[in-house]
Amino acid sequence: MSTSGTVSAIASTGPMTRRVRVYFAPVNRTNEIPTIFDASLAANFQTSNPPSPWLDLGWIDNFVRKSDGTVSAVSSGVPSLAQYQVRQASGATVSFSFEQWSKLTMALSGGAEHMNVLVPTPGAAANGSGGAAGTAQAIVFNGATSTSATVLALSAADLASYTAGSVVTVDVDYAGQTGFVGAGVSAAYIKSASSVANDPDYIRRVSFNVARVQQVTAQALVLAQPLLAGVPVTGMKVQPLTGFVDREGGSFLQEWSALFVMSGEQGDAVFFHYPRLQSMAGPAELTSTLQKPIERVMLSAAFRALPVIDVVDGQSVFCFRTYVPGPFTTV
Amino acid sequence: MENTRNSFYLAARNALSVINPLRVFVLRGVQRPGIMVEENESTVAIGVPDVFVLRWTALSIDEEHALPLAQQVCEIHYWTEGTSTSGGMDRGRLLAAMDEELTQFLTARNAAKQNYAASPPTALATRLFWSAASFGPIMTSKNRLSRVAKVTVYSYEEAAEA
Repeated sequence: MSTSGTVSAIASTGPMTRRVRVYFAPVNRTNEIPTIFDASLAANFQTSNPPSPWLDLGWIDNFVRKSDGTVSAVSSGVPSLAQYQVRQASGATVSFSFEQWSKLTMALSGGAEHMNVLVPTPGAAANGSGGAAGTAQAIVFNGATSTSATVLALSAADLASYTAGSVVTVDVDYAGQTGFVGAGVSAAYIKSASSVANDPDYIRRVSFNVARVQQVTAQALVLAQPLLAGVPVTGMKVQPLTGFVDREGGSFLQEWSALFVMSGEQGDAVFFHYPRLQSMAGPAELTSTLQKPIERVMLSAAFRALPVIDVVDGQSVFCFRTYVPGPFTTV
Repeated sequence: MENTRNSFYLAARNALSVINPLRVFVLRGVQRPGIMVEENESTVAIGVPDVFVLRWTALSIDEEHALPLAQQVCEIHYWTEGTSTSGGMDRGRLLAAMDEELTQFLTARNAAKQNYAASPPTALATRLFWSAASFGPIMTSKNRLSRVAKVTVYSYEEAAEA
């Protein structure tokens, strides 16, 4: 305890925690720039209000992280005696299960391209991830109502396509571009226009820029959650969707920056920051029985860590583990 | 929790009135479907035969989720003495009929949660859901046959309810 500016320190007790909370942030795939969590922010990290661009994906279960690194002895002499050690390989994996289902948790669990099921045009041929979509609606950028991350101004005629409760995807038309696509997050990699059948809606099919419509006013859609990519830019359009699809298969690998937080009972906390995590498993689920036959279904996720360079000393690093001690413990 | 209890009762009551419209009783001069919530009625009312009486007992809340998940145990008490025209000798058949009706009015397994404290009731964002009934043994007391079935009712506690 603290009195008159002095602290009576107690022995460190070690973290006691109940659960793990996870936050993900986009990696700039084009330039391979991850989102770095600065360890100096850990002491004031608010688990319910993470700093941008970290996205709170809720509590997770079955959190397991493994070091794949190996250290070998170099021996000499007869009999052979270990003289020194070398780090022969480095690597890390992490696995867990998401309690929450959402666009983002499904995509991270599925590992490959994650599709928004667009509302189809009447008579569209059946397709596993959704058929040809209806017409997308252009966002109005210079009207009476300003478009923002939570307000999408549309023409009166276009607003008729939506009701409160609709789910929408907001992104640009596909117009022959190649490489990583998707507003805010690299959602897929396009090799050629023909590989995506030159579908003008392809980017909106995979985009992470999705939200639920809370209200439809006379001028705009008011969203219940801000768009991940922030304020829409010129050229973006809106399309309604009915759900999400992931697939066993696909060639794309999701890559994200991740932060796992264990809050301790004594005001201490442990942070595990993986700047680059790539999916290493396909879609799978885990169930826990609430009361037979009611089961809770969770999304299984597994990732392989990729290295970044710590600019402090030039070392290749897969994970940063930060410990913030309790306020009155010896360190 | 009260919204869950009220919503569960209304779901059961509405289903029962379709399954067996003839299972009714009169309370305070009003004819109602044959199901009531013990805590909402006077102690005299709950002694009515051939009526389902809901009694809420255990409660636990699992807070380790995006929304707290409440589990409430609802005991459903019911008894019959049979009909006077049969001298009470049909009491076994009548209790079996109530067993069947109870099973049927729980088959929906989930229902929309509403706030019945508001007028008109307002819809909430989540649905409550419940387990199958666990039936206790038939208890015999003179010419009265009674049973208690237990149902666990689950609901997410929404911020709007706080």
